[in-house]
Amino acid sequence: MSLLDLSRWQFAITVMFHMTFPAITVGLSILLSVVYGMYWRTKKPVFLQAFRFWRRIFAVGFAIGVVAGAVITFEMGMNWGQYGARTGAIIGPIIGMEVVTAFFVEAGFIGVLLYGDGRVKERTMFIATVMVSLGTLLSSTWIIAANSWMQTPAGYHLVHGYFEPVDWWQVIFNPSFIWRWPHMVVAVLISASFFVAGISAWYLCKGRALAFARRSLSIALGIAAVLMPLQLFLGDSVSGAVLGSQLSKLEALEGNWESGSTSFVLFAIPDQQAATNIAQLDVPCLGSFIAKDLTCRTGMPGLSMTDAADRPDMAATFWGFRIMFLAAVLMFALAFTATVLRFRNRLWTAHGFHRVLLWTTPAGILAILGGWVTAEAGRQPWVVFGLLRTDDAVSDLAPGAVLFSVAGFTALYLVMLAAYVTYVVRVVRVGPERDDPLTSAVHVAEVEAVR
Amino acid sequence: MMPTLWFCVVLLSFLMYVVLDGYDLGVGMASLVERRPDRRRAMLEEVAVAWDGNETWLILLGVSLWAGFPTAFGTLLPHLYVPLVVMLFGLIVRGVSVEMASQVPESSGWVSAFGWASLVAAGAQGFALGALASPVEARGGYAAWFAVLCAVLLALAYTAAGYAHVVRKFTGELQAAAAARGRTSLIAGVLLFVVVVSAMQATAAPLNLTTSARVGAFTGFLLFAAAGVVTALVAFGTATRSAAAEKLPATALAVAVVAGVLALLAGRYPMVGAGFDLASAAGPHATMTFLLVGVGLNIPLVLGYNLFAHHVFREKAVRHGHLPDEGPSTRPSLEGRRR
Repeated sequence: MSLLDLSRWQFAITVMFHMTFPAITVGLSILLSVVYGMYWRTKKPVFLQAFRFWRRIFAVGFAIGVVAGAVITFEMGMNWGQYGARTGAIIGPIIGMEVVTAFFVEAGFIGVLLYGDGRVKERTMFIATVMVSLGTLLSSTWIIAANSWMQTPAGYHLVHGYFEPVDWWQVIFNPSFIWRWPHMVVAVLISASFFVAGISAWYLCKGRALAFARRSLSIALGIAAVLMPLQLFLGDSVSGAVLGSQLSKLEALEGNWESGSTSFVLFAIPDQQAATNIAQLDVPCLGSFIAKDLTCRTGMPGLSMTDAADRPDMAATFWGFRIMFLAAVLMFALAFTATVLRFRNRLWTAHGFHRVLLWTTPAGILAILGGWVTAEAGRQPWVVFGLLRTDDAVSDLAPGAVLFSVAGFTALYLVMLAAYVTYVVRVVRVGPERDDPLTSAVHVAEVEAVR
Repeated sequence: MMPTLWFCVVLLSFLMYVVLDGYDLGVGMASLVERRPDRRRAMLEEVAVAWDGNETWLILLGVSLWAGFPTAFGTLLPHLYVPLVVMLFGLIVRGVSVEMASQVPESSGWVSAFGWASLVAAGAQGFALGALASPVEARGGYAAWFAVLCAVLLALAYTAAGYAHVVRKFTGELQAAAAARGRTSLIAGVLLFVVVVSAMQATAAPLNLTTSARVGAFTGFLLFAAAGVVTALVAFGTATRSAAAEKLPATALAVAVVAGVLALLAGRYPMVGAGFDLASAAGPHATMTFLLVGVGLNIPLVLGYNLFAHHVFREKAVRHGHLPDEGPSTRPSLEGRRR
């Protein structure tokens, strides 16, 4: 394993670990704004209960997301010093905007959101919650702008291998940003919806905290029902945008080596060296159908069209895409079923469906991780597509130092992930009953304090 | 001109970070020597409401360096690889353990993790600053003795600031103990600062005090720092007896730290670290304009968010009311709030 591989593995591990948490917390922060707003307006205790319960899960997830995000920023210089130096004039300011318009907003109001109960007015609490969710959305906007520029660079000028900005408008609103940004925002809303739906469904199965569980499930599945069809459209548009500018990524995610196949590859074990698939399972004509040709004549491009030196790793790109695609199809089916059940007034009693939902709690998160693997592995061997190779972007470090950091991050992140999962399971088992303002000690005390 | 202006933003981020997260990490280290579990937890909960905003200055420091001086970012960070990795380990554990401990009131493991992680992060930051005095070409080979001195110095400075924060936020026994320990760590820190400044001349990044302007700036800032230190020492001594004095150590220490950093900068400018000229690493004109307008104009807002966050939680320490299973009747009155 080379120094480049070590740094790539470290980046893959740290960035995927990081992404897991925004996939939960961006959507949760919006849910928190919604339920607190409802509570503020209606004063119904169930909304305050929902706010307090989901905030417990949000709080720790948000903290892990923040600290794991800091790692990524530093890695841009530590492990990818050449990338940092060569693209810094363009990517640096974009991330700088993210820091001042998003991170500081989140950080300024998260304290109030988490610990402000009883210390600030309800209006301040609501504003703080909205500001935190606004911060998370702005953060995803800037980060997608930066990453999209690496996929479809625009508005730049190359001076001795160093990128310099020419037109900031083109840099930020680069061709793939237009589709990838809504795709990502909708994705995090859907992943949080299934996360919330899965946990709420468990309470319905157990017959616990029914008022709370019904509200949460209803909101989550309602959002999913609206957004899933939209997401299929957006995802298709993203792949349409990829088709024009990153043909090698499209070839790799389709799983064909030779061009012209009209079938959809469902399963494949690619052999990158031999440029062939060791094993493969096809659905005839489906590839052509997805390309909107029902006559079964439109063939898929194969990876052999791209020079061997410029090929992305097919296995990673193919399987990343398959995980995202299959999870999306599953979630679409679930959202559809939920809508049917709702119209037939059976959404609260269909325990079989609730058990399925419990198992699909992480479906949206897995889809997001799969999507990012497709986007990033499919961009290889480039870090800035077509312009800067990943092996020219890496820092020249002592191998022992990188080995130490890879091992350290892996161990630390395994512990953190285990701690978070244990924590969430614990919070769910204890349940939202303790957050019910009508029965909890704090509420009683607050009432007394008012007297 | 523009790179110099942008350098001021980088410097502001550095100073804000050292002052703000300095006290957070200091409270963490101070919690390690505190015996009573309820007090250690109370110290942690004081950090819980502010660590995120304070740590964000570190991100702005990194990113403002990256955006404005890309080659410096791409050269210095690989040079400081190991200390920065260790710092990140520390900061990860610190952030997660603060939230975990706040959410899981019966856990004491996360409270200890918070203290140790603060120590690791502070030490690694000091080591990284010290390693800047070794030439970048050394490729990870540092003058380790100097870096270790800097690590201890920064940990002591942070600890003193942490105790000053405890003095400000608590009353009674905890406050009195913090004032005494704060004074000890401050005296140790000042002695070590003198050692480090003298030792700098033996490193690859000696102070340049050849012109009278440099000597003037250096001594001027040092006098400011000395005034801050003396004020803090006196205020630590009287904090338990006077409500006016209990806020003073934190402010005086912030002044001392800022003045101390500026004094060293006056003796090094425009070089950062050993033989690394920041001006030559500046990014292109179009980047500088974007940065100064887009990011620069946001700086007052950012300071506003920071102020707001500190303003909401400006009162003396009380247990957080967000855990509904703990009513005020069960809130331990730590030392009682001052009327």
